[in-house]
Amino acid sequence: MNRALPLLAAPVAFFVAFFAVPMIVVVSSSLMAGGVPSLGNYARVLLDQYHWDVLAATFRIAGLTTAACALLGYPLAYYLVRVVKSRALRRTCVILLVLPLFTSNIVRSFGWMVLLGRNGLVNDALVGAGILDRPMRFLGTELGIVIGLVYILLPFIVLAVGNALAAVDPALEDASSDLGATPFDTFRTVTFPLCLPGLMSGIVMVFTLAVSAYVTPALLSGGKITVFPMLIFQQYSTVFDVNYGGALSMTLLVMTLVLVGLAGWIGNAGADAKGRAAR
Amino acid sequence: MIARLLLRVVSWSVMAYLILPLLVIVGSSFTATSYLAFPPQGLTLDWYGRMLADTSYLAAFGTSTLLALVATAAALLLGVPAALAIARCEFPGKRFLLSLLMSPLVLPHVVLGAALLQYCAALGLMRSFTALLVGHIVIVMPFVLRSVLPQLTPEQRALEEASADLGARPMETFFLVTLPQIRSGLASGAIFAFISSWINVELSIFNTTAEMTTIPVKLFNYVQYTIDPVIAAVSSITIGVAALAIVILDLTVGLHLLSDRR
Repeated sequence: MNRALPLLAAPVAFFVAFFAVPMIVVVSSSLMAGGVPSLGNYARVLLDQYHWDVLAATFRIAGLTTAACALLGYPLAYYLVRVVKSRALRRTCVILLVLPLFTSNIVRSFGWMVLLGRNGLVNDALVGAGILDRPMRFLGTELGIVIGLVYILLPFIVLAVGNALAAVDPALEDASSDLGATPFDTFRTVTFPLCLPGLMSGIVMVFTLAVSAYVTPALLSGGKITVFPMLIFQQYSTVFDVNYGGALSMTLLVMTLVLVGLAGWIGNAGADAKGRAAR
Repeated sequence: MIARLLLRVVSWSVMAYLILPLLVIVGSSFTATSYLAFPPQGLTLDWYGRMLADTSYLAAFGTSTLLALVATAAALLLGVPAALAIARCEFPGKRFLLSLLMSPLVLPHVVLGAALLQYCAALGLMRSFTALLVGHIVIVMPFVLRSVLPQLTPEQRALEEASADLGARPMETFFLVTLPQIRSGLASGAIFAFISSWINVELSIFNTTAEMTTIPVKLFNYVQYTIDPVIAAVSSITIGVAALAIVILDLTVGLHLLSDRR
């Protein structure tokens, strides 16, 4: 039975050598200052109000992005899976959803740099429609970064929710409406709870990717807004302070994992409560 | 009824939002103006000509392609045996090992890139192709595992045992029975792996140099200083590669996303 076990040797050796050890090196560097073990780097990160402001901006942007992705992605997923009847149309839409995912963040953010510029299509349209008197500044604002990040991460939520929805047996929804539930009640008590795990996994994925995004904020911030991954990049690429940079890396990693864990815990608690209510 | 209409409006607006930026890039790459204009004014292929005349773009395309191909091949060679062992064997710490192998999916790439820069510098490999490659193998291997593991089912196992009972050697069984059975998982895993490597910026940026750079990193460094239609042309090529990958994916394994497979 365990004859296949030696097959693990090469992949595990590779992951230890080029993933585990490098990460351990970062952790141990973060705990060294001036050649001696110290928590000084972490003190420098955590006792500086500036870092908390950057962290707050990072998590605020990621939170808004995640909320917008869920609010926009859920209806689209529902529409594609439950409303669109034509297989060809659905297939075309799926291809159009995956195409951005297969394109680099840089290319997609670049598209928004053009669209959101002072004389870009978005401002032209808003001014032309009389919604704005004069062009609005998007680049260099948190709103601009959120627009770009939502665009980049939206397909993840649509696919996660859509796949969960596709797995829900329509017979359950039919049964609910046969028993006299209104379409809204059926959605609220049958469909939504059944694809909640898909929504939660999509939300967690989008949130972690939004927190760790570097390229999109770098391009759309116009140097005016700093998010946490930029601080890490600066330390490693220009300052080359691996001790302080390591502490920044670990701070981002731990904060992200804590929030993801929290989201998973809330999701589970919610599912348990629902399960008890059903019984 | 109103809810239906609202759903339709929201859905089509979101689809438009997803397509617009790519359309703008491809459209403005054909503009005859010297600045980016959308809708394009005039129609020219000059910017593609300029891109081809600049050998640094071709070199970056070459590096990106080679990197993505080698990383995908290595991820298959490491990932398939790992998936077989994980599917077939019970051992302590199996869940931990699997989460370790999958963790590059959620780990911030900036953190991993920084770690590899520091580590490879210590090994004397700083900013080399090898340093880029090992990082890319680490981040693309989860895609291979994710698409191959679900195919290694007990039913699949039964056919392998039949093959062995009928006297096939282990290697014969692997190549004649197992590989054809997991073919679609291999194809989709390989395509996702290739594309994730091909589009990566956040990991690559730490280990590239002015001479040896990948196309997304080159675009990233360029876009921060100037925006011109050449950039749109280069971007359009990468969008074309993405479209090609999707067509291949659809033709070989079929894009079953969002549809009921029962």
